[in-house]
Amino acid sequence: MKIALDVMGGDYAPVELLAGAIKWLQENEGQIVLVGDQEIINEELQNHSYNPNRLEIVHASQVIGMDESPAAALRKKKDASIVVASRLVKDGMADAVVSCGSTGAQMAAAIFILGRMEGIERPPIVAAIPGRGGKPTLLIDVGANVDCRPIQLLQFALLGQAYARGVMNLDNPRVGLLNNGEEEGKGNNLSIQTYELLSGQSGLNFIGNVEGRDLFSSRCDVIVCDGFTGNILLKTLEGMVFFLAAGVKEELGAIPATFTRLDYTQIGGAPLLGVNGISVVCHGSSKREAVCNGLNIAADSINNNIVDKQLQELSRLTP
Amino acid sequence: MQEFFEQARRILAEQMEIEVERITMDTEFEEIDADSIDIVEMIMALEDIYEVEFPEEDTEDYPTMGSLVTALYEYLQKVKND
Repeated sequence: MKIALDVMGGDYAPVELLAGAIKWLQENEGQIVLVGDQEIINEELQNHSYNPNRLEIVHASQVIGMDESPAAALRKKKDASIVVASRLVKDGMADAVVSCGSTGAQMAAAIFILGRMEGIERPPIVAAIPGRGGKPTLLIDVGANVDCRPIQLLQFALLGQAYARGVMNLDNPRVGLLNNGEEEGKGNNLSIQTYELLSGQSGLNFIGNVEGRDLFSSRCDVIVCDGFTGNILLKTLEGMVFFLAAGVKEELGAIPATFTRLDYTQIGGAPLLGVNGISVVCHGSSKREAVCNGLNIAADSINNNIVDKQLQELSRLTP
Repeated sequence: MQEFFEQARRILAEQMEIEVERITMDTEFEEIDADSIDIVEMIMALEDIYEVEFPEEDTEDYPTMGSLVTALYEYLQKVKND
């Protein structure tokens, strides 16, 4: 197993990313390809001890900034770290790419370099939110696509179902549409039109509208929303967990494990779905622990063959 | 120019799943919900058809179909004449 890590993206690049990579190598089998400015990487690596046979460096002279238009930057900066790292996956030189840099640039790289699965316009990010009894609920999209059309939300639903069946081994995953009420006809234009599309899609186990609280109710297995809403929901959840954990620690002196499972400083990242390669999107604010966990998510995605499983499930739905 | 424009709008209309007639030279990309990825996709499809690599400029500089297509067409003519 070989994972390409874009070490130039993120608030704490490259120091924390390199430390995260070294930590992952100490705890796991496999190899890492560090993609970024060779000189900076070599200098920083002097602070670490590692097995050079398991760590490769691929030079990339450019970085795509958070403030750049992703698609245009991708055309302009052909030697950007996320471009080079994604190309390694496309060319079979790495099994997955992990980045803490611009999500838009990573999505654009996934679209234009890895390529989309047939019938998928935009890759969404799927996050598994821990639920009761160890059963997670998938929230899709948590931030790749801020503006979505109903047809794209239908595609997210199909990908979510495919992921739940193929990777989580659920026979008939229940899919809900995130809305501000359960009744049909609730919500904004996007929700109303999407509801109609999801209801009419054969092969999709659509259970109707669900509310934010259903993320933890086990009412459904996949919750679909646009990336703008999903990202706000996820970040609200992260902030709330942080607040509650601090309060509980103050009162009881310890933080229960449930809180740590939702701690965003620990959760590594989430894969983009609907593309022909594994691309794991991490928080921009990831430090070594989160980077290491992001690499774990990439490793799990490789071991679970998430690309093949999505393709198998999507082809099952095509008449 | 007309043929080039027709190619471009056919590609974009197909991508956006809208009627070709909705796209004119005056159409703003925002009007039809085309984002930078849609625009770059259209440019890349044109590059394949005309076997040319267009300059890597910011798509934001061209808010309308007409302004972008004109710039691309002028570049195409320049390459042909060189």
